[in-house]
Amino acid sequence: MANNDKINKLIHDARGPLNRISMNAELIKLVLENDMPKEKALAALDKIISNCQQCSDSLEQISNLDVVE
Amino acid sequence: MLNILLVDDDSEFSDVVCHIVEFLGHNINTAANLAEAEQWFVNNTFDHVLLDFMLPDGSGLHLVDHLKSIGQKPKITLISGHPSVKGKLAEMCEPNVGHLVKPLQREDIERLLNPKKTTAKKKAEPSIKKHFGTLIGESPQMQHLYTMIERVANTNANVMLMGESGAGKEVVAQAIHNASACTGPLVATNCGALSKELIGSELFGHEKGAFTGAIARKEGVFEQATGGTLFLDEVTEMPIDMQPNLLRVLETKKVTRVGGSRESAVDCRVISATNRSLVDLAQNNVIREDIYFRLAVFPIDIPPLRERKEDIALLANAFLNQLNEENNTDFQWQSAQLKLLESYDWPGNVRELRHGIHRAFIMSDPKGKAITLPDNLESPFSRVNKQTQTNQVTAGQTIEEVEKELIHATLDKVQGNKTLAAQMLGISTKTLYNRLNAYGGIGEYS
Repeated sequence: MANNDKINKLIHDARGPLNRISMNAELIKLVLENDMPKEKALAALDKIISNCQQCSDSLEQISNLDVVE
Repeated sequence: MLNILLVDDDSEFSDVVCHIVEFLGHNINTAANLAEAEQWFVNNTFDHVLLDFMLPDGSGLHLVDHLKSIGQKPKITLISGHPSVKGKLAEMCEPNVGHLVKPLQREDIERLLNPKKTTAKKKAEPSIKKHFGTLIGESPQMQHLYTMIERVANTNANVMLMGESGAGKEVVAQAIHNASACTGPLVATNCGALSKELIGSELFGHEKGAFTGAIARKEGVFEQATGGTLFLDEVTEMPIDMQPNLLRVLETKKVTRVGGSRESAVDCRVISATNRSLVDLAQNNVIREDIYFRLAVFPIDIPPLRERKEDIALLANAFLNQLNEENNTDFQWQSAQLKLLESYDWPGNVRELRHGIHRAFIMSDPKGKAITLPDNLESPFSRVNKQTQTNQVTAGQTIEEVEKELIHATLDKVQGNKTLAAQMLGISTKTLYNRLNAYGGIGEYS
């Protein structure tokens, strides 16, 4: 049960960066559709890359938890 | 335009949502926890609250209860990454509380803020280009404005927007913000609407307990706009004795909250706006000279609508399309109506045009497709302004022209009674007749 809570928390932690990735991707679409400066898109892309790493770290923790189980 | 409050402790998520919501044409403020959210509701009302379920100081549901207790009823959308929340929401059964599960998409936000828009989206619409996502118009004056916006957006210079009331100063501020590479939010405040007592707290923020009623720490607009743009509307209406405080922040680029001792760095572009003319600014002592030079590093004049009449049809179509989308209708302009709109001077500028079209939209028969324009487009304000304007003498007019205007204005005032008009003008009735004969306007008053 305690392990379940832990998994739930890790899944919740992984959704945070996923959510940021999704919204930053939407922002890039807006920038491209409206001829806005590419710097905005580049900044959003950097954020996506760093959030992918965070998401990957969370998944790694979940997978380690399963191994221990 | 809706006023939205986003309550979420994930600052990166909040920043990107702010960009998107602002782009969709709404105002948005943020709070990182329940205490900040409750503080926002002390002096403000919001149409919609986007509320994270799990916050550092409690559950989003506490804010729902708090709003009920203070009698505020905004629409609320709980945002959560936790599937178990769905069950809790079903128990609540509140009609004004909705729910979204992370990760979000732009369409989710669009649907929330404008539910009807998505259904009308599939209709083919004539494409009206929105420059920088906000500005409509293809006239030479607007092309010049776009060039200015592009040039200044690439710098971090402070901008002062000058233009008549209703010309679109806030929209231009949004365009500069959109065109710049900044990643922070656009924060707007109206300096003319703030009381003398609150202006310091609004601009610079306050610490908890700084004055009676300061129950929590509050960030000022300079801090809220970190990394973005601060729009100070009606800056010339700020009390002159408060202006030295603003000058200090602009010069030192540091801000100290009211009741605080720690300085924090200011990192935002300031766009200010005024509807006063340069002559008015210089003559009437409404803004200190030193502040003017700090704010107006790059002044931009926004052309009044009467000087870009070729844009009226584009704007009218854009406004009507928007009303059609929002109301699921299909009204169309007739070319004669667009000509009529173009023939009017619109002293209240784009705002007056927009309101005029909204009024016509409401008056029109919902079963048909034709818009019903009123017989007279003039608003009471424009009538009064026109009267005062026609009585003004401007350099370049001939004495004959001024005399003719004066005679006509006097005759209008006395409903064409020439004896009375001659008395008012201090001339004989015969002279009045002679003048009217000479100007060829006697027929109007016979």
